[in-house]
Amino acid sequence: MSKTITQDLSFLHLIGGASLPVQLVMLLLLLASLVSWWFIFRKLFTLRQEIKQTDEFESVFWRGSDLNALYQRAASARHVAGSMERIFEAGFREFTKYQSGVDIGPVMDSTRGAMRAVYQREMDRLESHLSFLATVGSVSPYVGLFGTVWGIMNAFRELSNVGQATIAHVAPGIAEALIATAMGLFAAIPAVIAYNRYASDTAQLATRYESFIEEVSNVLQRRVAKPRDMANFS
Amino acid sequence: MVRLPGNKSEPGKLRAAFFALLVHVVFLALLVFGLNWKNEAPEALSVDLWADLPSHPIKPAAPVAKTTSQPKPVKPQPQPQPQQKTQPQPQPVIKAAPPPVRKPEIALKDKTEKPHPEKEVKKPEPVKKEAPKEAPTQKTVEKPVPKEAIKKPEPIKKETPKIEPAKKVEQKDDAQQRAEAHKQAQQQEQQMAAAQARAMGEIEKYKAMIQAKIRSRIIMPPDLPGNPAAEFTVTLLPGGDVLTVILRKSSGYPVFDDAVERAIYLAKPLPLPPDPGLFSAFRNLNLAVYYRE
Repeated sequence: MSKTITQDLSFLHLIGGASLPVQLVMLLLLLASLVSWWFIFRKLFTLRQEIKQTDEFESVFWRGSDLNALYQRAASARHVAGSMERIFEAGFREFTKYQSGVDIGPVMDSTRGAMRAVYQREMDRLESHLSFLATVGSVSPYVGLFGTVWGIMNAFRELSNVGQATIAHVAPGIAEALIATAMGLFAAIPAVIAYNRYASDTAQLATRYESFIEEVSNVLQRRVAKPRDMANFS
Repeated sequence: MVRLPGNKSEPGKLRAAFFALLVHVVFLALLVFGLNWKNEAPEALSVDLWADLPSHPIKPAAPVAKTTSQPKPVKPQPQPQPQQKTQPQPQPVIKAAPPPVRKPEIALKDKTEKPHPEKEVKKPEPVKKEAPKEAPTQKTVEKPVPKEAIKKPEPIKKETPKIEPAKKVEQKDDAQQRAEAHKQAQQQEQQMAAAQARAMGEIEKYKAMIQAKIRSRIIMPPDLPGNPAAEFTVTLLPGGDVLTVILRKSSGYPVFDDAVERAIYLAKPLPLPPDPGLFSAFRNLNLAVYYRE
């Protein structure tokens, strides 16, 4: 008796011995965990790159380099540029479409609008998949719990068929059911941690972009005050 | 107005997928191989099984082996040499799992040397050699593996020699086996008796402890004449809790009876032997408490 139980308690045996719904739950959780880890790593790379590019562009921009040259660089390297560079590019292009002599109010409005649009799109890109992490983090414990409850229900139902109930009759069933909870937690914990981390990272980036938009529009507005410079732009 | 910024290619999609897989594979490997799910449990169980037993059977077994065998201190060490020459049969019994290289050797010797050692050694053997042969086997079986129960190795000793020599030398071995079996039966009886005596001693000891504990809780009513005795039947639960206390025979002084009854309830949990097998002797306990010691 004791020997069979100890043999049954190996990890793979437990998974193999679980009932079909519990196995399905485990499979679901495994998939959720795999995908969420995939997103975790993708987001990790993306955000790390984004922060690096933003740092670089900000330092270049505030070093007082020529806006025109910056624009040229941003436009040519659009596919590898960071979000901040793209925001700047969109705003500057919109700004240069208006030639001198036009009222400054609408120009600045549309410039800011163009930057806002790109900003929204970039934020959308940065925040993509974060909702999936949040979902996995909040739902997979419940899914695992469902598997556990189901497994324990079965374990006790089988117990009712046995005349003399001992702990040895329920123990394997409960153990295999509890694996579902363990898997749910294994999927949820990293997802929640990653979600919180990435959400705060994106929020920080968002603040930086927003203040950058304001600053760029101020710089451009100052440019309008000196219309002679604008002649160079086209 | 604004052209859509070209879809920026996300960095490291494949790399991320690879890392995600890696995390899971590592975690799974940790679960399956890192934790010894299988090995831990049997160890714990085997300890449970043999925790109480060895103290009873092994001690009585040792003196028996000593008295019967004189050459014992010499034999066990040079085991392989004398046994291969003189006793081809018991060897497979002693070494339950000899290296596979040895077996053919033994088989060869069985065939080649059989006639000589059988006639030379075995003839004077049946009575005298019995003991020394018996002794080393016991030594080797019992000493290095003190956890093994007595009952298990013995049936093996009886049966395995029966099968092997039966084909070749039947009559001599029959006598030998009978003697051996007799000896083992005797030994077993001795051990059983010893274990029983031990159990009885244990029960007596704990009964005395129960008495002492109850006595220490009695608040003696002063100045009763003589030495009255109150007898109670106490029903115990495993763990030493008192279920019921029934006055079987009054001492004649209700004051004393009540004091003893109170003391019995006060004394719980009563001391019980750790071996749950002995509890049956304590389930319905008859206690006689005297006024004076």
